[in-house]
Amino acid sequence: MEERSLTFDLVELLKEETGKCINCGFCETVCPTLEPSGYDLWKGARGRVMEAKELVKAVESGSEPLRAGDSFYSCLDCHACFYICPAGVNAGIASHLSREIITTQHIKKNENPTAAMMTSVTMKYNNPLGIMKKCASWSEGMEFDRDSTDLLFTGNMYQLMSYEKGMNSLRGMMGKSLTLRISSMVSKHPSLIKLSPKPKDKELDKKMSSSLKNIVHILNMSGIRLNYLGGNEPYPGTFLYDLGYIEEFKEYAKRVSDIFHKANAKRIITVDPHSYDLLKNVYPLYVENFDFSVTHYLDLIDVPLLFKERNITLHEPCHFSMRSPEYTAEIKILRSTANLVMPERSGKKSRCCGGPDELLFPEISEKVSQERYAELEKTGASQIVTACPICFSNLAKSEKVTDISDFILQSVLL
Amino acid sequence: MDFVSELKNILPGKVITQKERKMPYTADASYFTGNEPVAVVIPDSVEEVKKLMKFCFSNGINVVPRGGGTSLTGSSVPMKNSVVLSMSKFDKVLEVRPENMYAIAEPGVRLDDLNNGLKKFNYFYPPDPASSVAATVGGSISTNAGGLRASTYGTTKNWVLGLEVVLPDGSVINTGGRILKISAGYDLTALFVGAEGTLGVITKAILKIWPIPEAIGRMLAYYDSIDKVGKAIAKMKELGIIPLIAEFLDRITMDSLERTRKIEFPKEARFALIVDVSSTIESIKDLMEKTKKILEEFQPVSITVTTDPDEMQKVYEARKGAYSSLLSERNNENERVIIGDIVVPASELPVTLLEAENQIKAHGLKVALFGHIADGNIHMNIYADLSDKKQMDAVDSFQSTMGMIAVKHGGSVSAEHGIGIEKKGLLEMQSREENNEDELLLMKNIKKLIDPKNIMNGGKIFDL
Repeated sequence: MEERSLTFDLVELLKEETGKCINCGFCETVCPTLEPSGYDLWKGARGRVMEAKELVKAVESGSEPLRAGDSFYSCLDCHACFYICPAGVNAGIASHLSREIITTQHIKKNENPTAAMMTSVTMKYNNPLGIMKKCASWSEGMEFDRDSTDLLFTGNMYQLMSYEKGMNSLRGMMGKSLTLRISSMVSKHPSLIKLSPKPKDKELDKKMSSSLKNIVHILNMSGIRLNYLGGNEPYPGTFLYDLGYIEEFKEYAKRVSDIFHKANAKRIITVDPHSYDLLKNVYPLYVENFDFSVTHYLDLIDVPLLFKERNITLHEPCHFSMRSPEYTAEIKILRSTANLVMPERSGKKSRCCGGPDELLFPEISEKVSQERYAELEKTGASQIVTACPICFSNLAKSEKVTDISDFILQSVLL
Repeated sequence: MDFVSELKNILPGKVITQKERKMPYTADASYFTGNEPVAVVIPDSVEEVKKLMKFCFSNGINVVPRGGGTSLTGSSVPMKNSVVLSMSKFDKVLEVRPENMYAIAEPGVRLDDLNNGLKKFNYFYPPDPASSVAATVGGSISTNAGGLRASTYGTTKNWVLGLEVVLPDGSVINTGGRILKISAGYDLTALFVGAEGTLGVITKAILKIWPIPEAIGRMLAYYDSIDKVGKAIAKMKELGIIPLIAEFLDRITMDSLERTRKIEFPKEARFALIVDVSSTIESIKDLMEKTKKILEEFQPVSITVTTDPDEMQKVYEARKGAYSSLLSERNNENERVIIGDIVVPASELPVTLLEAENQIKAHGLKVALFGHIADGNIHMNIYADLSDKKQMDAVDSFQSTMGMIAVKHGGSVSAEHGIGIEKKGLLEMQSREENNEDELLLMKNIKKLIDPKNIMNGGKIFDL
């Protein structure tokens, strides 16, 4: 009964979101996935809203839904569509709700095998690749304060990037159909993930580890003593939530919350925008007694930063500029250290890096990132700063691209 | 081999046949939903468009060209047994020659993108339909789109110098040229402007471009009657001041903006008038002073004048946000705001608006009015529940009545949205009313000559 009522609510929510749509097509002009998909409308914002309307009709009438899963899963969730829509429709939310309906209604033919695989592995190992211990290797030799109530939460996000890159190369070699077959098998038997090879991009791994060390260093310099869970630190469950596995997410988020409580954490210090947004804005909706103060490390920096005459640019993470536009700490910090030249598309009109599609639709992801990199390059800035490991990983097409933690540390040491 | 399989062979990798992928092509920005197309084709060369047309011509399959899918009258909605031809990949600006005052663009270039590119030359392409962010060069030519600036610059037909067109049988013609003047036989370029894709597929357009005005000043005046608004604009024109834009909003629209956007308007105001004038930097102040005096002659409730870009933007937001404000006040998911589009000589606008108010009451509809007052174009924004037959009948009746009122005053049933599916009946009524049925007959004969198998967006503008 609970599931039925949940589904009913989802369908009503989706109806409400898509019902506002007037089909004007303005959203298509800012949707980052439309052009890279070859202007195939179902992979653009308006198409997604239309597909979502059809999904509602099918669920309500009990008829066979269209095989529109790829339409919803390819959405980058950047919410750029929302800011241009005259009717206030958010195709990102429509896609998200559609994915939730697909999973709660068990519409198998619309499920994405890779999404299903990552969900089952995360549920089993608290990490989408089952490599929680490996994700702590960056901290070897570093000291943390086990008594501190300030918990550093990397969410394994920086660490997973090098594996994601490596796995994508492997997928490229295996081809699409073999990848999907393996994903299906692993989703049914998640322990198989332990047997699968996990190549990683060593160069990226080094950079990501260095960024995490820099973050700890900056926080220590700011007078903050940190606790860190090391090899027991869980992934925050971003994929579960983003891909619509809400029932699993609820259970998982409770598990993460319990781990935080057990560690006597009071303040969770996140280091990436995805975990920050999820823990701050989504967890409280799904987890009872999620009574932690969630913050981002950029808010805690208390070291003198030196200004140097140079032009830099910033690629804003969607989870800041478009999903939490009130969050501008990264901009303030960068403005205090250099001349910040924003790219043509910035703020609420910013452009996603394509990162969220990297595992499910790597071709789209690559094209989106190339386009965005070209826009950032066009500013003529000497450095391109990112404030998210996913953005860094997707945009690191030259030495100019720098994680904000590295940039801040440079500015401290000037 | 069946039609679709053969089409896939002819255009490998360019044909979409899966139901879920074709579905988003069944609709445009109008309230019509078309049929599932037989296939959707997304070519990226003229050669491929030619192949498609030849094949469809020999098979007698209807082809529906699609640009940004922003038509408000259903021009790009597929009828039965149609192939949708998406021109999205034709998205390049090929040439910009300010010294010759033209730019060459492919049909899939969006109008705002074109203008962003022209900015660095200090030039612009004036047609600016409200959908310019999404509307394309090809689509706006095909509907002869207008926009806010039409009072000074006219509509799209004034800005197209030449076209490359693939005809229904797959042959290609080039009309006009890279020249501002041409007097070499029939003006075939004009024939394709406003043809809504019923005569051929535009694959390239030579567009006239114009220097961006040096300075723009904006005024916002409120009046207690439309008569005063109309007279103020008429007086401006009489004295040789042609406004760059002149937009009016009625009280319903202002109330909606107050509720949804917290923009305050004077209580006594029944109409708001936004006027832009353009000139050189040296003379803009003088021009604004003169314009302000004229506006003041007709006892506005209040008036604001500015050249400050931020202030100008705020005023502009009121007009730009009008439609979305109205949208946010819909009662349910089936309710749409259907945009009517009639035009009368500018001097007839006040009396037409009075008649519109009477008709709104008589039809029991909720309608907000705004539009381009300097060129007599009224947009009637009608709240309509698409699932309520009685209400939709009232909408049809209101639109027909208003169309005929426009014709009575020397105007037309369509100013800038085209005919599409929505106004086919109205076009016929206009022909009859004007005792000008031979014009429509000639249009049909031209269509038959160029498209003897009626495969180019058949069922739009008129039925054969």
